[in-house]
Amino acid sequence: MSTEMAQTDPEGVDVVRMTWNVWPRTKVEASKCVIPIAASISPIRPNPDMPTLPYHPLRCKTCSAILNSFCRVDFSAHIWICPFCFQRNHFPPSYSQISETNVPAELYPQFSTIEYHIDASAQPQLVSSPPVFVFVLDTCMIEEELGFAKSALKRAIGLLPDNAMVGFVSFGTQVQVHELGFSDLSKVYVFRGSKELSKDQVLDQLGLGTMAGRRTGGPGQGFQKGPQAGVLNLGVTRFLLPASECEYTLVSLLDELSTDQWPVPPGNRALRCTGVALSVAAGLVGACLPGTGARIVALVGGPCTEGPGAIVSKDLSDPVRSHKDLDKDAAPYFKKAVQFYEELAKQLVSQGHVLDLFASALDQVGVAEMKVVIERTGGLVVLAESFGHAVFKDSFKHVFEVGEQSLGLSFNGTLEINCSKDIKVQGIIGPCTSLEKKGPAVANTVIGQGNTTSWKMCGLDKSTCLTVFFDISSSEKSEPSGNLNPQLYIQFLTSYQSPDGQTRLRVTTITRRWIDSAVGSEELVQGFDQEAAAVVMARLTSYKMEMEEGFDATRWLDRNLIRLCSKFGDYRKDDPTSFTLNPSFSLFPQFMFNLRRSQFVQVFNNSPDETAYFRILLNRENVINAAVMIQPSLMSYSFNSLPAPALLDVASIAADRILLLDSYVSVVIFHGMTIAQWRNMGYQNQPEHQAFAQLLQAPHDDAQMIIRDRFPGPRLVVCDQHGSQARFLLAKLNPSATYNNAHEMAAGSDVIFTDDVSLQVFFEHLQRLAVQSS
Amino acid sequence: LDCKALPRPLEGDVEPNSFAMMYPMNCSSRYMRLTTNAIPSSQSLVLRWQLPLGAVVCPLAEAPDGEEVPIVNFATTGIVRCRRCRTYVNPYVTFTDGGRKWRCNICSSLNDVPGDYFAHLDASGRRIDLNQRPELTKGSVEFIAPAEYMVRPPMPPLYFFLIDVSISAVRSGMVELVAQTIKSCLDRMPGYPRTQIGFITFDSTIHFYNMKSSFSQPQMMVVSDLDDIFVPLPDDLLVNLLESRTVVDAFLDSLPSMFQDNVNVESAFGPAIKAAFMIMSQLGGKLLIFQNTLPSLGVGRLKLRGEDLRVYGTEKEHALRLSEDPFYKQMAADFTKYQIAVNVYAFSDKYTDIASLGTLAKYTGGQVYYYPSFQSAIHKEKLRHELSRDITRETAWEAVMRIRCGKGVRFTTYHGNFMLRSTDLLALPAVDCDKAYGAQLCLEETLLTTQTVYFQVALLYTSSSGERRIRVHTAAAPVVSDLGEMYRQADTGAIVSLLCRLAIEKTLSSKLEEARNFVQLKIVKALREYRNLYAVQHRLGGRMIYPESLKFLPLYGLALFKSKALRGGYADVQLDERWSAGCTMMALPVKRLLKLLYPSLIRVDDFLLKASSKADEFNNTWKRLPLSAESLDSRGLYVYDDGFIFVIWFGRMLSPDMTMSLLGEDLNTDYSKVNLRKHDNNLSRKLMGILDNFRENDPSYYQLCHLVRQGEQPKEGFLLLGNLVEDQVGGTNG
Ligand SMILES: [Zn+2]
Ligand SMILES: [Zn+2]
Repeated sequence: MSTEMAQTDPEGVDVVRMTWNVWPRTKVEASKCVIPIAASISPIRPNPDMPTLPYHPLRCKTCSAILNSFCRVDFSAHIWICPFCFQRNHFPPSYSQISETNVPAELYPQFSTIEYHIDASAQPQLVSSPPVFVFVLDTCMIEEELGFAKSALKRAIGLLPDNAMVGFVSFGTQVQVHELGFSDLSKVYVFRGSKELSKDQVLDQLGLGTMAGRRTGGPGQGFQKGPQAGVLNLGVTRFLLPASECEYTLVSLLDELSTDQWPVPPGNRALRCTGVALSVAAGLVGACLPGTGARIVALVGGPCTEGPGAIVSKDLSDPVRSHKDLDKDAAPYFKKAVQFYEELAKQLVSQGHVLDLFASALDQVGVAEMKVVIERTGGLVVLAESFGHAVFKDSFKHVFEVGEQSLGLSFNGTLEINCSKDIKVQGIIGPCTSLEKKGPAVANTVIGQGNTTSWKMCGLDKSTCLTVFFDISSSEKSEPSGNLNPQLYIQFLTSYQSPDGQTRLRVTTITRRWIDSAVGSEELVQGFDQEAAAVVMARLTSYKMEMEEGFDATRWLDRNLIRLCSKFGDYRKDDPTSFTLNPSFSLFPQFMFNLRRSQFVQVFNNSPDETAYFRILLNRENVINAAVMIQPSLMSYSFNSLPAPALLDVASIAADRILLLDSYVSVVIFHGMTIAQWRNMGYQNQPEHQAFAQLLQAPHDDAQMIIRDRFPGPRLVVCDQHGSQARFLLAKLNPSATYNNAHEMAAGSDVIFTDDVSLQVFFEHLQRLAVQSS
Repeated sequence: LDCKALPRPLEGDVEPNSFAMMYPMNCSSRYMRLTTNAIPSSQSLVLRWQLPLGAVVCPLAEAPDGEEVPIVNFATTGIVRCRRCRTYVNPYVTFTDGGRKWRCNICSSLNDVPGDYFAHLDASGRRIDLNQRPELTKGSVEFIAPAEYMVRPPMPPLYFFLIDVSISAVRSGMVELVAQTIKSCLDRMPGYPRTQIGFITFDSTIHFYNMKSSFSQPQMMVVSDLDDIFVPLPDDLLVNLLESRTVVDAFLDSLPSMFQDNVNVESAFGPAIKAAFMIMSQLGGKLLIFQNTLPSLGVGRLKLRGEDLRVYGTEKEHALRLSEDPFYKQMAADFTKYQIAVNVYAFSDKYTDIASLGTLAKYTGGQVYYYPSFQSAIHKEKLRHELSRDITRETAWEAVMRIRCGKGVRFTTYHGNFMLRSTDLLALPAVDCDKAYGAQLCLEETLLTTQTVYFQVALLYTSSSGERRIRVHTAAAPVVSDLGEMYRQADTGAIVSLLCRLAIEKTLSSKLEEARNFVQLKIVKALREYRNLYAVQHRLGGRMIYPESLKFLPLYGLALFKSKALRGGYADVQLDERWSAGCTMMALPVKRLLKLLYPSLIRVDDFLLKASSKADEFNNTWKRLPLSAESLDSRGLYVYDDGFIFVIWFGRMLSPDMTMSLLGEDLNTDYSKVNLRKHDNNLSRKLMGILDNFRENDPSYYQLCHLVRQGEQPKEGFLLLGNLVEDQVGGTNG
């Protein structure tokens, strides 16, 4: 992300976007606002203007909040007052020099976000350790696919920092843990694929357990490598070696690695024990010293059919579960598998380690079941058709890239939230796990990871985004209004280990204004962030669809939209034509229209794996990207005008236009009929048609811009009008030119919209229902 | 009983030759020996005979050059057998009806001669093609078996090695030596180019080796789940030796260094053999186990149960000679079922419960090789020789053996190392020339009416070359009604061999003392019976008499009491040693057993000093001396040879020059530390020549040299004096 973009970013330096930027004072008022009060935050998004401080932050002795520009400071008394709990805190001697004219950076109003780079040497328990990467490779693939996966791995290992510790696990019917430090010959530890193993069993069988010392005589086996001995458990260095030392071994090992040797009878799936492989890998990284940042990077080529975590039988005539099966409770493996992965998630979170999943298969691999581990640990996920496909290849490479392109993979993150009295935290939707830290700011109701004011993020990166749901506890009667502070404060504290192993603490302190919405809603309206609200609604809907049995998402969205329009629209009762919306809300219904049609709500068009994949992405991306997932952006390119945004409507298609659609997971370049003809005739190659060549090229350049920065890399589709690939565009457009069934709606009936209504019909219904007197 | 008065078997085993003379078409006695070559005609004779009535069979005994068993291929005819009793056509069948029928010598039924096998008879009723038909003229013949003798294609020779790599195994030098020895034998293993090979090593975990032929070196695969052992690969753990030779070589080269720093003290022996079983069960073959540390982990773990001294001498003592954990017997049954023979090489310097481990060998037709307190420096040559022989000798695979006999008699019990598949079918996953089996006969009828009883041993097996074959040995013996004739035709070697097996079996259910009493009683009763028969006639009064054929029996009996398997009490022989000695004796061919019981004692100093003589000259001149301390002259140098060890006894007054020449060191040195080797002088060269000669002539085991100086106690007593069977030691004298 360039500096320029950060500055023009609606998220600002604090990278916090709230559904409501002015908060209703009471619970009742808040509930009338329909859209929940929530903030989308990007805890460690880079910010070149953010100061970094080389010392420890000052904490309030009562509530632990960190000194910030909203604190009232009494320079003469050397006291600061905590804005959260009003505790008066003395400055320590190191601050003795401060005065009105000499304030530390954390007190500058413009530095509401600040990062403390804590000197590790002062805290031995935080001594930086090299990151650990354990690659887990499925070998139940055809030779060609395995070849692709292997070359991707080789490239990745070459990109790793020299000191990164690398381990390798391969699996098929059984699991093989490769002892990279064994020099005499290639050596693997083999685990049965059908058997669930506890962490202790894994460690014991690898010779890393407490029993191992007695049997093997513990250290002194001659396998230890000197420099790492202080950082990692002694035994584990048999399996984990610095990238610089094991690259050669690993590359030759990969060269010799063959596809799974166990025979697969006709009509059967390969026996693939993904579950055991992952728990073995988890055990292996679990042998590292606590606090070591570690990622399990799994490359999986098909469904788990063996042992715990299996999602389907080995009989090919049993299809992998669909949404329908899940709905009808006809997916016999699903619950057990999810339970297994929940346990694995717990283990990884307690160890502070991450699972990244790179799945590639024509069939499903079980992302739906594994989602819980990926999300809880803050792992990355990429779903592709083949390990040879650009979506996988580019994304995988991206993970290991350094410099400007780097994802900035960080480890061992913890988020803490402090907030003003009367504000409660319901929970977080996004890649994190509740640490169950109880406190006065914990709400009774839970959304996502709740019951806490502290969350673990085993893995987090530059683009990691979380949605925090707030609740307001005060009622109008609770306090005499005179005493109320008009401002509310929220502080986000994110401590994490940067890619280079440094321990950092980022502090963002924000303030918003309370408003008594019963008095006037004008200010409330002005503070509405429709884009953020749309994204929050999408996340909340997805969450409810997963959590609440029989949840009718479409109906729930419609109801909320109608309520919102009823409350904030201008109209005369029962007169639809009189209905207008304030510009702060005007885009919101269209977002909802597209959300209703999106893959997040219309799940039956996708496999459970795809749905899970889309939802993981929706939850972890920032508001702008997430909005594109809900409502793709469409650009139009033609001869007579500059590239311009086009309506997401079939009407935008024209023979002499090129359209560029970005739906986040795919980018479509669509040539109108005439354009396609000219191109086929090769006009672009003739010097006199240079303009045409430029026109053809422009969307490609823009597409590359989009693709370059995005993770996972989107699928690029280049198609022509009436071509078979054109469906990738058409599926996303408003079907205004299809049919109009508005008049079939029985007036006064319950709120029911059919799935394929056009935007216009949708609006008509909305207006009518919004103005109805209830 | 005064042993000094007894005749001494100083000529070794003397096979009775009357048998061969009476029935020249009988198989050689190296394949089968009856305890008496006169079959009693009645039940009452059997009872009065007193001694075991039966046979000792060594179906694959090594034949001297020129006497190899002829191979017969009935390719088109099919193998000619009696349709009623399944006897194979043999020299004793008779052809009638112009050659169109033949009568079975065993059951007397008349069989049609298959068209292709038809031949006219000459005037004397003999087939005119008799000279081209070895099966009709020779007592031993080998048929090529057609497909109906196979339940599956003939298996390739298969050798699987299971090697303990725990700290003590590595430190003793065993692992290195085993690796070297196996490697040195790879070119000589039978069955090229079909030979298969595989390896597992183990300590607290099981290590498999992927030997895929395309690899340049093997991949080691560790399985630690001892409770639920499994095979980590479907193929390539067992490979074709030729195709994977490079990988096998690389493995054996790196095996010693791979574990040189291993400090693991545990042994997952049971899981390891289960693993080996899983890999081998597809094909069968030979499993060679190299064991050092008492099994301590997983199934089949064993206790130091031999350490409770209070058990010895009680009714419970024999239990120590049985496998404690049913796991071992069960595994042995599984191994046999899947055509796997197990040889156990045990090396521990402590009690290692060979009674349990050896069960694997005992019931699979295998062998136990025991090297107590193995040290590479000392036992190197012995292990190298015995292992080499084990994996390079000709071996018969997936075999079964049955002994048929004529009407009226029946084999009832079998004695040796094998498992019975049905009442009379011995399952022998692997057999070789060093294995013999005993069997006892009974009369089925009170009176035999026939003049002759026929025996036919049939061993169905797969040769290393991949042919299914049936080796058939046929013999006839006369039926007699005279007890004296039975005694005259008695075969002491066969009798001792059977008695020995019966006695060892008895030690598994009784005290040692009872086993010895059993043998003693048999011999005494037999001699009394014989005496009663002739006492009056010869008017011999109170003197003991015995037939010429049994003159060595008392002394061999005495020697049997002093053998490691039966000797004294617990203090005389360690439990493990006793068990492994017993296991070995159960399988020994007659000749070798007799030598073990009455070893040769030879004085060599005079010969060494003779100026001109060469070592091979010695062969013709040496004499065995009575096994008595009186035979030892303190000015002499003696070699004691029981087929398993040499003891070189240095008389106290032996010339120091000779000692110096032979040892290359001062005579005050500790003899147990001296490794006898060739020195650059005539005396040394000659002695070593003599020893080499002895070894060459008795190659089944390697005779490790033990040096002892006269008067050096307790070594002298332990190594030599205790084995001088004629001397009275520790109340074992009958
Ligand atoms: Zn405070
Ligand atoms: Zn017959």
